[in-house]
Amino acid sequence: MSTVTIRFAVRTLRGRKGAFAGAFVALLCAAALVCACLMLLETGLRGAVAPERYAGAPAIVAADQYVRKSVDKGDGETKVKAKPLSERAWLPASVVETLRRTPGVAEVVTEVTFPFGTYTGHGWESAGLTPFTIARGRAPRADDEVVVDARAGLAVGARLHGHRVVGVTAQALPSQDTVFFSTARARRLAGHPGMVSAAGVFPGLARAPEGAVLYTGQERGRLEFLDAEQARVKLISMGGALAGTSLLVAVLVVVGTFALSIQQRRRELAMLWAVAATPAQVRGLVGGEALLVGVLAGVPGAAAGIGLGLWLHATFVALGATPANLQPVVSPFPVLAALLSTVGAAWAAARVSARRLTRIRPVEALGAAAIDDRRLPWWRWVAGAVLLAGGTTLSLVLSGLDTEAAATPVTMLTALVWTVAVAVLGPLLARAAVFVIGPLLAGAGRRGGASGFLAARNLRAAPGALGAVLSPLTLMVAMTCTILFSQTTMGAAAGEQAAAGTRGAHALPGAAFEEAGRLPGVEAVTRVLRTSVRFGLDKYPAQAVTYDPRTLDLGVEAGSMDGFGAGSVALSGAAAGRLGVGPGDRVRLTLGDGTPAALTVAAVYSRGLGFGDVTLPYELAAGHVDDPAGTLLVSAPSLTAEALRAAAPGDASVAAAPVSADPQVAFVALGLIIAFTAIAVVNTLAMATSGRARELAVLRLAGTTRRQVLRMVRLETLAAVLTSVLAGSAIALVTLAAFGAGMTGSAVPYVPPAAYALVVGAAAALALLATAVPARLSLRTRSAEAVSAA
Amino acid sequence: MTEAVRLDAVSKVYGKGQGAVAALREVSVGIPRGSFTAVMGPSGSGKSTFLHCAAGLDAPSSGSVRLGGTELAGMGETELTELRRRRVGFVFQAFNLISALDVVENVTLPLRLAGAGVRRDRLEEILRRVGLEGRAGHRPGQLSGGQQQRVAIARALITEPEVVFGDEPTGALDTMTARDVLRLLREVVDGLGQTVVMVTHDPLAASYADTVLFLADGRIVDSMTAPSPERVAGRMTGLGAWK
Repeated sequence: MSTVTIRFAVRTLRGRKGAFAGAFVALLCAAALVCACLMLLETGLRGAVAPERYAGAPAIVAADQYVRKSVDKGDGETKVKAKPLSERAWLPASVVETLRRTPGVAEVVTEVTFPFGTYTGHGWESAGLTPFTIARGRAPRADDEVVVDARAGLAVGARLHGHRVVGVTAQALPSQDTVFFSTARARRLAGHPGMVSAAGVFPGLARAPEGAVLYTGQERGRLEFLDAEQARVKLISMGGALAGTSLLVAVLVVVGTFALSIQQRRRELAMLWAVAATPAQVRGLVGGEALLVGVLAGVPGAAAGIGLGLWLHATFVALGATPANLQPVVSPFPVLAALLSTVGAAWAAARVSARRLTRIRPVEALGAAAIDDRRLPWWRWVAGAVLLAGGTTLSLVLSGLDTEAAATPVTMLTALVWTVAVAVLGPLLARAAVFVIGPLLAGAGRRGGASGFLAARNLRAAPGALGAVLSPLTLMVAMTCTILFSQTTMGAAAGEQAAAGTRGAHALPGAAFEEAGRLPGVEAVTRVLRTSVRFGLDKYPAQAVTYDPRTLDLGVEAGSMDGFGAGSVALSGAAAGRLGVGPGDRVRLTLGDGTPAALTVAAVYSRGLGFGDVTLPYELAAGHVDDPAGTLLVSAPSLTAEALRAAAPGDASVAAAPVSADPQVAFVALGLIIAFTAIAVVNTLAMATSGRARELAVLRLAGTTRRQVLRMVRLETLAAVLTSVLAGSAIALVTLAAFGAGMTGSAVPYVPPAAYALVVGAAAALALLATAVPARLSLRTRSAEAVSAA
Repeated sequence: MTEAVRLDAVSKVYGKGQGAVAALREVSVGIPRGSFTAVMGPSGSGKSTFLHCAAGLDAPSSGSVRLGGTELAGMGETELTELRRRRVGFVFQAFNLISALDVVENVTLPLRLAGAGVRRDRLEEILRRVGLEGRAGHRPGQLSGGQQQRVAIARALITEPEVVFGDEPTGALDTMTARDVLRLLREVVDGLGQTVVMVTHDPLAASYADTVLFLADGRIVDSMTAPSPERVAGRMTGLGAWK
C-alpha cells in the first residue's frame, strides 16, 4: 500500500466518522473480549499461588500430585504426559522415616489436612510449617480440644462443632481458616491411616526421596492449593476455547459491519474508481481504513479487556470456580494478541467486502438507484456449500461425543459454522423470506394502511439489505439458544436420571450413617461419595456407594449389580463404550488421589449423567478423598423430607447435592459472547437504518406520515426478526440434537418454553429498539433538508 | 376564492441571537389559481425557503400561509403531512421517487398513503398525459432522468392538488429533456387548469411561466408577466449587480 492511499484513508476516516462507528464498536468489543479470554488463559498458564501454610518450611516433601503416563508420539519417541489428580495424594509414613534418616536433615514436621466445616483442620504437629504460635491459651491435647486462628473471633473456652477452644494462635492465613486438633485426633479425622499429607524439612533438602516430590519456593503454593492447580487447568482450556469462539464471532460480526459500511459508501468508492484509481488502489484504501479503524478500536478495546478479564476472574472467584488466591496475571501478551487479532480481523473483513465492490463497474455503481444485483456470485455458492458440508460433518462428529469437555467447544463451533453458512447464503435466505413474508406484509397493508405495502416492496427490492441484518440476528439467536439450551438439556437429563435412579430416596449430606439407619421408618441407607477417577489420563466423574437396590437404580443394561462390593466397578454405557469393556472384564484405573486399582466390571448402566460414569464400592474410595463426609441416600417411604430432616442426626439437612459451579461459569463467559452478538445486532441495525435517512425523507416528502414511516420500518424489522429467529432456532435445534444424541442419548433437547419465549422476545425488542431510535432521529431532520443534503 | 396560495407578511429566521439569519422578510404574495409562476433569485435569496413555507414543509417564524383557504399556522406535523398529501404536489430536482416501487406504485403512493382508492381511468389518463404509457411496470432505476421526472409529475398530479410545487424540476436534466418537462408543466396548467409554482435559476425555464417573481435578500423585489428568457436574464443580471 502506498503512502498516498494511507494518507487518503486517514482523511476519509476523519471525514466520515459515522460510517466507521459501527465497525469501530464491533472491533472494540472484539478486542476486549479476546483480551479478557486470553487473560484467563494466561492466568491458567502462569498464575502463581503463594504458599501460606507452608511458608515457614524451606522444603516440603509430598506425594506426586499427578497421574503420569508415557505416550508414544508415533515417531519412536515417547513423552510423559501428566494430569493433575482430583484428590490429594498422601505420603506413606515410611517416606517420612527415610527423610528423618537423611544426613543434613535437622527436623521433619509432618502434616495432615482435612475439611472441618468451613475450616481446614490439621494436627498441632504441623504448626511449625507456617509457623503458627499460640497467642492465648495452650496447644490441644485431648480429643475434644482445638486451637483456632486469630481471625476466628473465638475466645479460649468457646465451643466449635462439639469441640472446646483451648488456644488461639497469633496468626491467621489470608485465604483459609485454620483449626488445629491434637495430633492423634487429627490423624483419625483425616481418614488416611499411616499417611501424612506433607512433610516440611528443615533446614532444607537437596533431592526428593524415592516415591515423593520435593517442593520449594513458589511450588509449595501449588501443593498447598491443589484446587488452584485444577482451576488453572480449567482456565487454560476454557480461556482458549472462549478466546477462539469470541475471535470467530468477532470476525463474523466485523465482516458484516464492514460489508454494510462499504455498501453504503458504494457511490463514493465507485467515484474514486471512476476518477482513475485502480481497483488495487481502491482495495488498498479500504484495507488501509480497516487497519486504522482496527488500531484505533483495538488499543482502547484491549485495554478495556484487562478490566473485563479482572472482572471475569473476580466473578469466577465469587462463583467458587477459581480460588481467590490464584492471582490473575496481567501482562502485555493478551493485549498484544488481542490487538493483532482485531487488526487482522478488520483487515480481512475489509478485503472480503471490497472484493465485492471492485467487481462492480464504476458506471453501474454510480447509477442513481443502483439495483441490487440478483445473482449470487459463484464464490458464495462454493463457500456456502463447503460451510454446509462442514456444519453437517461437525454435527455428525458432535453426535458421537459423550464427554462434556469434548462436546462443549465442538457445540459452539458447530453452531458457528452453521451460522456462517447462513450468513454466506444470506441473500438466498432473504429472498426466500421475502417470498413468504412479503405477501403477509402486503396483506397487512390492505387492512392497516400503506406501511405494510411499503415494507413488502422494500424487502422485495433489496433482499441484500435484509440479508445484511439477518446475519447478526441469526448469530445472536443461534448462539443464545445453543448456549442456554445445551445447559438445560444436560441439567434436565442429569436431574431426570438422578431422580429416576434414586427411587424417591432422600439425600442427606453429611449425616451419620449408623444413626440414620437406626431411625424408625428408614428402610435402607446408602453412603455416597463424589469423586473422580482416571482411566489412563482420561478423567471420569465417579461415585462410591454402599450399593443398595432400594435406594439406587442405575438403570443396569448389562451384567448385574448383585454382589457389588470389593473388587467390583460399574460403568456407564458411555464410559464402557469408550473403554471398550463389558461385564466380566478387568479394568485398571487410578483413584482420585493417584492410588491405582484393578477391578472387575460388574455391570454397565444407563444413568451415567445422573450418577457419574463410574460407580465404585464405598470402601475402595473412602480413604482416597479429601472430604470423607459425603452424602446419605435414605429410603424411608413413610417419612416426609421434613420429618427426616428433623430426625436426622448430625449436620444433616435435606438439600440437593451441592451444585457444581461449572455451568454458571460457562453462563458468565458465554454470556459475554451473547452480549457481544447483541451489540453486533444493535450496531448493524442502527447502521442500516441510519443509512436510509434519505430514503425515509423521500417517503416523507411523498406524503408519508411519521407514523406510517415508523410502522413501515417496524414491519421490516419484524420480518428480519422472524426470519432470523426461524434460521437461528433451526441452527440451534440441529446443533442441540447432535449434542443431545452424544451426551444424553436423546436427540430431543430440553427447551423451557418460557426461556425460549424470552430469547425471542429479547431479540425482537433489541432489533425494534435498534431500528426505531435511528429512524426517529433521521425523521427529526427536516425532510426537505435531508433530501437536498444527500 | 381565486388564489391557490396566499402568503401574508411571512418571515423565516434560522438560528437565534447574533447568529440568526433571516431567509424571508415580510413576504406577501398571492398565487392565482390556474397560473404558472416561476420564482427566481440569486443563491441565498430565499427561493427554497419561500417554496418550503408556501408548501407547508417548513413553518414560518411569523406571518400567515393559506393553502386554498386553509390556514397552515398551528397545524401539527401529521396534520401538515396529510394536508400536503391531499392538496399539494411536489416535483423535485432529484426526482425523489421510491426506488423499491414501480411506476404505477410510485404514482399512486399518495392515494395509498391516504387510504384512498385508485381510479383506473384517472391513472391511465395521467400516465398518458405525461407520456409514460407502456412503462407502468418499470422501476425508477430502469428509467432515464426525463422519464423519472415525468413519473414525479404524474405522482404530483394524481391527487388533483391545489398546487404543484417544483423545486428546480429541470435542474438535473439536459436541455432537450428539460424543455419536454417544461412543456408538460405548461400543458398541465393550460389543459388541466392546475396551479404550478416553480423555483428555478434558469431564465429559459422561467420563460415558460405566466409570471416570474424575483427574490433578493429574502424579499420579493420585482415581478414580470409574459417573460422571455432575455428579459429574465437581464433582470437577474441587474439583481446580481444591485446585490
